[in-house]
Amino acid sequence: MMTTWALKADHVSKQFPDGTLALEQIDWAVEEGETMALIGESGSGKTTLLRLLNRLAEPTTGTIVVQGKPAASQDPIRLRRSLGYVPQDGGLFPHWTIKRNVCLVPHLLNWSAEDQDDQFQHLMQLINLDAAQMAERYPIELSGGQRQRVAVARALGANPAIVLLDEPFGALDPLTRQELQHQFLTLKQRIQKTMVIITHDLPEAFKLADRITVLKKGHIHQVGTPEALVKTPATSYVQSLIESHGSSW
Amino acid sequence: MVRVRTLHRRKGFFRDSLRTPILLFTSLLFLTVNGLWIPTASGEKIITVGSKNFMENRLLAELFAQLIESRTDLTVLRRLGLAGTQVCFEALKTGGIDLYPEYTGTGLVTILGGEPMNNPTEVLNRVRSQFLQRWNLWWLTPLGFDNSYALALRRDRAQELGVRTLSDLARIAPTLKAGFGYEFMKRPDGLPGLQETYGLQFREVVGMQQTLKYQATANGDIDLLDVYTTDGRLSVYDFLILEDDQRFFPPYDATALVRGDTLERYPELAAVLSLLTNALTREQMRKWNLLVQEQGQPVTQVARQILEDLQLVADQEPGSPTYHQQPSQSLFAYMWHLRGTLAMRTWEHLGLAGLGLLLGIALAIPLGLLLERWRTGAETMIRIIGMSQTIPSIALLAFMIPLFGVGTFPAIMALWIYSLFPILRNTFSGLRDAAPNVVETGRALGMTEWQILRSVRLPLAAPTIMAGVRTSAIWTLGTATLAAFIGAGGLGVPIVAGLQLADVNLILSGALPATILALAVDALLAWVETIVKPQGLDPVR
Repeated sequence: MMTTWALKADHVSKQFPDGTLALEQIDWAVEEGETMALIGESGSGKTTLLRLLNRLAEPTTGTIVVQGKPAASQDPIRLRRSLGYVPQDGGLFPHWTIKRNVCLVPHLLNWSAEDQDDQFQHLMQLINLDAAQMAERYPIELSGGQRQRVAVARALGANPAIVLLDEPFGALDPLTRQELQHQFLTLKQRIQKTMVIITHDLPEAFKLADRITVLKKGHIHQVGTPEALVKTPATSYVQSLIESHGSSW
Repeated sequence: MVRVRTLHRRKGFFRDSLRTPILLFTSLLFLTVNGLWIPTASGEKIITVGSKNFMENRLLAELFAQLIESRTDLTVLRRLGLAGTQVCFEALKTGGIDLYPEYTGTGLVTILGGEPMNNPTEVLNRVRSQFLQRWNLWWLTPLGFDNSYALALRRDRAQELGVRTLSDLARIAPTLKAGFGYEFMKRPDGLPGLQETYGLQFREVVGMQQTLKYQATANGDIDLLDVYTTDGRLSVYDFLILEDDQRFFPPYDATALVRGDTLERYPELAAVLSLLTNALTREQMRKWNLLVQEQGQPVTQVARQILEDLQLVADQEPGSPTYHQQPSQSLFAYMWHLRGTLAMRTWEHLGLAGLGLLLGIALAIPLGLLLERWRTGAETMIRIIGMSQTIPSIALLAFMIPLFGVGTFPAIMALWIYSLFPILRNTFSGLRDAAPNVVETGRALGMTEWQILRSVRLPLAAPTIMAGVRTSAIWTLGTATLAAFIGAGGLGVPIVAGLQLADVNLILSGALPATILALAVDALLAWVETIVKPQGLDPVR
């Protein structure tokens, strides 16, 4: 049986102008519909890998493939509009209403006003917020958790097949964070999308992801399910990572 | 969940945030352009008379102007009160003005940089030949009096110290405090040459404005001062003029200095102005100067009187008074009386500053956008433009004269340069610092750079940019008072004239409207600032 790859990196390296080697000869792939966590310390290359996927950065060598087509051959603006994106702090436009924020990508894609309205209703329902109540509010009027949920809704704005999340719950207090992780799991069941989620928190990765990629200093140490990571850690780094959280797993 | 006030929806940045300021600025531009427009009938023969910024020079210039007006069909434009010799001379050379009253000694020493000479005829011949050769500028026949520099002190103090000549002074100078004009302290035929010739070394030398020196000497705050020998105040204050026993000060015979091509175009000019040959003595000049300096009579009126006295015009009603009223009047009554003139000056002032600022906005905001796109070198560029701020305003105005002459245009150019920096700096940093994470998110979600600029960065930077505009506006309004020095009008005119006359009411009649104008514009722009500020940036109260 042939696996369908939503995202693929073939022999990808990324070197910055200052000489730092952020990624070195990475071969990596995400299956369609799965949630892949990227875990690693800062400087491991996880953010760089994510930025290569939507062409906010270009690989020095190697090829990124998005939905069967080389990313380099796709128009970056069109590519980005087809990929959802949630940054750590939500990144909502402070001077735009919630509705305008959520409908950003549909608006960029010139959806009709009615379609945008319908989509807004649908997305707010997905994230359990009252559409009528939220539509005309500004981000500053919302709590941190609400803002982050709105950011997720915005990422899903134009029904992308793939969503990229960069430490989406990193800036929240522990309680809100737990609540949102829980909602995320529910959401994941409902929407069945390919997702790549960056985290530096191993328990979060275990809770949310189908598979986990462990990165360190630009190299992939292991890609596998949570069970595989626990049972057969590929390197001593993976093992130490698991052991430092050992009691809970 | 706490119910919060629902804010009105804003549909688009351009429709909502920029409409008001754009309308405001366009109408302001329209008004200012209208205000500066001077209609002149085509083919009209125009001649521009300039003067330096002291009263005798203004008076002579006004005298020339009225004589020309009464004896020829030329239309005379007055650019009186230009800031000093260099400004006047540059303006004359470049054709900004056609003539102004100058003194032979100044021509020799300050302009030609020659050694001081003692014989008046020799000096006149020297400047005549040199100016003709080098610049085709003509010294007409002298008016009859010379206005030299001299040092003076209170008569009782002089007797007490036992000084009569400058050589006497040299002996006791180290115990004295002198108050000198700024130009005198710099000129080779002023303090530097004097020190060399007589070996003068004072205990202390303070730079002072001409008018203040007299009062300070009379009060005993300073021991001596430099004077012009025709200064009207010399007949009021009991000062002793020290004899120049080594004949250091060169003769300063007053006459009209005229452009050669102007004389060629209007040959009648030389004939008319030569009516004033040897017409005025030093004593007469002191008397006339006293009228304008101390008794506050308008220059136009005194000039008229001189012409009547010389029987060059028929006795008539004196011309309309410009600035001077009875000194006893209250400030309010005084300003009310002058309301027409002041309104015109305020209008001019607003025109100068407004146009300078609008040009500043028109250049600095796009430049800020460009620099933000090409960051390399942006800081250097901004620093270079920032250096324009370190040039003293009056010097910047003077730099404009060789390039643009005198009057409104060079003043607006100078104000333009002044207004650039705060707007540029704030546009650049406002855009650069506009929520970088938000900008990056917009990019990641597929907004084009233009969309990000228009819908995210500009709205978020708008308050910062507007704050820069506000700073610029206040600076420009303040600096515009100095435009009077290069003949551009505005509220600086009564201020400068008032400083020369030590007339507080006159100074305030310019300073007060200028201050009110600045406050009003600041308040207006503060209001604009709240309009361009996008909603959603402040916590909801």
